[in-house]
Amino acid sequence: MSIMEYNGGAIIAMKGKGCVAIAADRRFGVQALTLGTDFQKVFPATDKIYFGLAGLATDVQTLSEKFRMKVDMYHLREEREITPKTFAHMVSSTLYEKRFGGYFCFPTIAGLDAKNEPYICNMDGIGCITTPNDFVVSGTAENQLYGMCEALWEPDLEPEDLFETISQALMNGVDRDAISGWGGIVHVITPEGVITRTLKGRMD
Amino acid sequence: MGDRYSFSLTTFSPSGKLVQIEYALAAVNKGVTSVGLKGTNGIVIATERKSHTPLLEDNSIEKVSTICRNVGMVYSGMGPDARILLDKARKSAQEYKRVYLEEPSVMIMVKEIASIMQEFTQSGGVRPFGVSLLIAGFDETGPSLYQVDPSGSYWAWKASAIGKNMINAKTFLEKRYSETMELEDAVHTAILTLKEGYEGTMVESGIEIGIAYLENTTTKEGDKIQQGRFKKLSEPEIKDYLANL
Amino acid sequence: METTATLRFLDAPASIAAFKHAASEDDIEATASACVDMAPREFAHPTFDIPAINNPVEFLKHQTSVDAKNRIKIQHGTTTLAFKFNHGVIVAVDSRATGGSYIASQTVKKVIEINPYLLGTMAGGAADCSYWERELGRRCRIYELNNKERISVAAASKLLANMVYAYKGMGLSMGTMVTGWDKTGPQLYYVDSDGQRLKADLFSVGSGSTYAYGVLDAGYKPDLTPAEAIDLARRSIFYATYRDAYSGGFVSIYHVKEDGWEFISRTDVNDLYYQYAAEPKPSLAA
Repeated sequence: MSIMEYNGGAIIAMKGKGCVAIAADRRFGVQALTLGTDFQKVFPATDKIYFGLAGLATDVQTLSEKFRMKVDMYHLREEREITPKTFAHMVSSTLYEKRFGGYFCFPTIAGLDAKNEPYICNMDGIGCITTPNDFVVSGTAENQLYGMCEALWEPDLEPEDLFETISQALMNGVDRDAISGWGGIVHVITPEGVITRTLKGRMD
Repeated sequence: MGDRYSFSLTTFSPSGKLVQIEYALAAVNKGVTSVGLKGTNGIVIATERKSHTPLLEDNSIEKVSTICRNVGMVYSGMGPDARILLDKARKSAQEYKRVYLEEPSVMIMVKEIASIMQEFTQSGGVRPFGVSLLIAGFDETGPSLYQVDPSGSYWAWKASAIGKNMINAKTFLEKRYSETMELEDAVHTAILTLKEGYEGTMVESGIEIGIAYLENTTTKEGDKIQQGRFKKLSEPEIKDYLANL
Repeated sequence: METTATLRFLDAPASIAAFKHAASEDDIEATASACVDMAPREFAHPTFDIPAINNPVEFLKHQTSVDAKNRIKIQHGTTTLAFKFNHGVIVAVDSRATGGSYIASQTVKKVIEINPYLLGTMAGGAADCSYWERELGRRCRIYELNNKERISVAAASKLLANMVYAYKGMGLSMGTMVTGWDKTGPQLYYVDSDGQRLKADLFSVGSGSTYAYGVLDAGYKPDLTPAEAIDLARRSIFYATYRDAYSGGFVSIYHVKEDGWEFISRTDVNDLYYQYAAEPKPSLAA
């Protein structure tokens, strides 16, 4: 079994009209054994940037703390908020620093920049960034999520429609993955603020 | 041998002064005058390029230098010391860009350089830098001008001067500076300020000028954006300014 | 004659390769042999091509081991349970099929209705379980025709054990419970592809079995009412689906009684989660 599948998990981010959404499942497990159903995989970087980490749970926690520290240090040193694009490159360089013994985490980033333009990206475990115009997915349910997103996503979704789309994609995607699911969480980032909702899902 | 000199040469005098730093400032005050001033849409730094002998190749001297795409500097004081700082600043700017894929802001560069200069007032076996710097650049906050001294202290200025003729130049700037001045006027004012203490007739090869401004460019993705840019003026460009004084 | 043949086969399963058709004709079981000679040969016994090499057991071990590069993937995750009590036997199973971490189906029937008096459960390879239990059903019917009475659960389970034992080491994967009601009352056996055959009052089989045992052992006693027993079985499977990633879907429950088995229910575990969540938790301090 791959170490990326040791704990299980699924993450999606989607672009909408003047907004972005990021969603993840809530399972924490060790291979087949489900140990927790309220595990945090998506973290706020700033008021307008959230990032999700799919992969080995210990690295999810280590990296989330590392990025929190780096964003806080950036904020103090530069006296301004980091932008999603700059944050993505910071994450990327942090990962590549450990090219020959890296973290077993695939980050996903979603946010609004200074002009409230939507930004989403994800990357592999050593920092190769992809920035599509529609959606990004990662985790053990990646294939299922691609299928769901390809079917459900459409351009220029308003926040509430984006919420519905990303939620349906997540819940139906993880229902075909044995090691993701047990509920979900969605954050929709808009210029006015972040809407966070937890989703009830199948608990098997 | 090494550890015998591992104490700092910069130590407090009984009166609480760091005389090494004062000596370093004395070296700056012997240096050639440099000026810098901010316009509404750009910023200028300038200095004299003094050669003591007509035998010297003028263009082998460079005192106004680019640090990175949007930030430049000029020094007064000891040329070799400034070169070390320039190298360190350039390297630091590229390290920043490696991490963030973005040019550093002027403030970040100033903090970086100032902390290096401070380190040389406290570390073992080294002396302070014999230079003051004017650092000018254009970032998302607009144009900004900073002065950094050998102690590592720094200030943001609307207009400033360092070096031999600093006092006269500052008096001149106080009279002539206006906050509504545009970059073109700022360049003229900078030249006029230098002219105050200039010996002989000013020719284009006798001064160096650097400007920072907002440039229209196209990104790799094809988006049209505006980006801060620092560049040195060429001799023909300087010649035009001199002709229009 | 037959005894000799059977022993030869069991001692050296590899000999199947050399005597492929001969082996399948006479050897696999002796119990129902009387009818074998009367039936047309090609319908009499299952025959399988076995790699015609020196040591097929070693060869097949390699094909099915976790280290094999192109391993034959088989459905492993499951929770099944069965227990005897004063009113018969309760059988309960989940309905998930997985290939790796992919959920291939949430609606698998893991209770195999061998005949109106016999049930088998499915854990391990789905194909292996369904094939061999269907074959068992066929042989049980032949027994019935020959002997004018139903086969005992003990005999039926032994038929199954002997059949799969013939292929030991060749990659069969099966963990099954055979249950029914015969002359001696309710019966429950566990049979697996290693050839193991056990008799007990309570079993749980599959990747989720440990979780099911936890609930089952805490609540089990022989004098449960049928309703209590069914609820216990359902909860046991449910908690296994909650904890075990490779179990899930629906809980199917059967009750084996004197007049044969009865299908009780099929419940979505997701409904059970919210139903159980609404119940007050029992106090552990008492």
